Amino acid sequence: MSEENTGVWVFSESPQLTLELLGKARSLADGLGTKTVVIAVDVVDAQNLIQHGADSVLAMSDQAFKSFQVDTFTDAFANLITEHKPDILLIGATRNGLEFAPRLAERLKTGCVTEATRLELDAEKKYLLMDRITSGGNLVETHISKSKPQMATVAKGLFTPSPPDPSRKGDVVKVEPKFKPPSTRLVETKPKPMKGVRLSDAPVIVSFGRGVRKKEDMGLVEQLAQTLRGVVACSRPIAEDLRWLPEDQYVGLSGQKVSPKLYLALGISGQIQHLTGIRNSRIIVAVNNDPKAPIFEYSDYNIVADLYEFIPALMDAVKQLGNA
Amino acid sequence: MVNILVLMKQVFQTADLRVDRSSKTIITQGVPRVISEADKNAVEEAVRIKEKHGGKITVITLGPPEAKEALREALAMGADEACLLTDPLFEGSDAHATANVLAAAVTKILEYDLVLCGAYSEDLFAFQVGPRLAEMCNLPQITYAAKLSLENDRVIVERDLENERQVVEAKLPCLVSVVREINEPRLPTLMAIMAASKKPTTVWNAADLALGPEELGFNGSLIEILRSTVTVGERKRILLQGEAKEIASKVAKSLIQEGVLKAA
Repeated sequence: MSEENTGVWVFSESPQLTLELLGKARSLADGLGTKTVVIAVDVVDAQNLIQHGADSVLAMSDQAFKSFQVDTFTDAFANLITEHKPDILLIGATRNGLEFAPRLAERLKTGCVTEATRLELDAEKKYLLMDRITSGGNLVETHISKSKPQMATVAKGLFTPSPPDPSRKGDVVKVEPKFKPPSTRLVETKPKPMKGVRLSDAPVIVSFGRGVRKKEDMGLVEQLAQTLRGVVACSRPIAEDLRWLPEDQYVGLSGQKVSPKLYLALGISGQIQHLTGIRNSRIIVAVNNDPKAPIFEYSDYNIVADLYEFIPALMDAVKQLGNA
Repeated sequence: MVNILVLMKQVFQTADLRVDRSSKTIITQGVPRVISEADKNAVEEAVRIKEKHGGKITVITLGPPEAKEALREALAMGADEACLLTDPLFEGSDAHATANVLAAAVTKILEYDLVLCGAYSEDLFAFQVGPRLAEMCNLPQITYAAKLSLENDRVIVERDLENERQVVEAKLPCLVSVVREINEPRLPTLMAIMAASKKPTTVWNAADLALGPEELGFNGSLIEILRSTVTVGERKRILLQGEAKEIASKVAKSLIQEGVLKAA
């Protein structure tokens, strides 16, 4: 392979996501016998990136890159990529990353797989196989890009950073890619209104659906969540139709995608839309009085019970074990 | 007076999709087709802008002839004209090829100040068509609008990000993608539904848009789908039934053993 179309590049404006992508990039680059390159907006973090697997850090030090703006970043990346021609480019699937990647891909006239769930090389190491979930969570599609760079965006929590190796060496190169004045202007930033609990960070999630009959009964769910040291979430109809909880507290394909250690689904029937949001949970416990509820196909512990009887019983049981 | 183009997609009601486990296919028979949720919010937002500032709304969709139903619903909500882009050659288009067809239509319509669309579609959640089209048409893009207002020749948008809201402005013409928080789409009245049938719908195929087969469908796509697999769960499925107390203590013990729960 020539010098062209080599290298696995990584970018995210989120430092944590950058390390996760770098973990994956490292194994892809080893498979291809090529280098990993991180595009950074600062030189400060470069050594840390090298320790976590970067062979090269391209640092864009211009003030314009201190905060993300889609035009500026598209111009800069398009210039860098046209010059260096990487084989693969992974971008963090933050909301900014998700608006940036397709625009950049279109400028470069290349494909892009957004929110890829699996990235592997094919047997001949010719293509990057990129899986993504579609059709309300019913399908896993394996995509390849017909053109280079092969681009994918990846959500937080999917890949693991490589452990830091203080002896690793890499180079840091300051770059000054050209860009035009941006077409949008940031006026101000404000806090999000009605900020709910951050479900993405919770190790235990106690979630409920239509099986909870009255709004007042949410108190019981909250008590259980307290006992289990977890946070309360819900299914889409609870937030969108009944509006008992804010929209950022519902779990599902179109809502929050969660990956707790324990996901407790109380009175949730288990539409595919919901199941897609919980598939990365380590253990799923489902409580439903209908033994035929679809969620039982996708759970680890299938509890056929009246949740109004089961919730107090579970609280007692956990407290008893604590006292023992 | 503002000329607004709304890009929308008709999708199967995803919540009603089921998997046939034996044939490993998705059952779409009898599943209703609807306007993708966030696109419906884009239509609603266009109608609200028109109510305030006056102007004209054209809704555009790419899809099979059945997508006319979705356009009719948007017309009933308050859009003035509809445009259906339909051609067997469009089938199998990826985000790039889809945006290419839409961009050809947008360019052909020519007169617009604002292009609105949902930030994502309910079936694919790819978040791609808006930014790709903006790039093709050389438009500024503002994504994830949770609030939108117009002042003279500028659009001011509150972008809904993970941990904050960003207030961003741009000069028109501009593409804005919206999220569902932006509004509550109206249910059209019977009068509006009847009036909608009298509103004009243009139908364009590849030839009308001067697009050749090499830039459409599979040929025109930059991404190729190698295979698609129906998802099947692989969970333990340990069944527990009987007396609530007994099950509860069994589960609690198991969860602590698995290391996912701490005793209170």
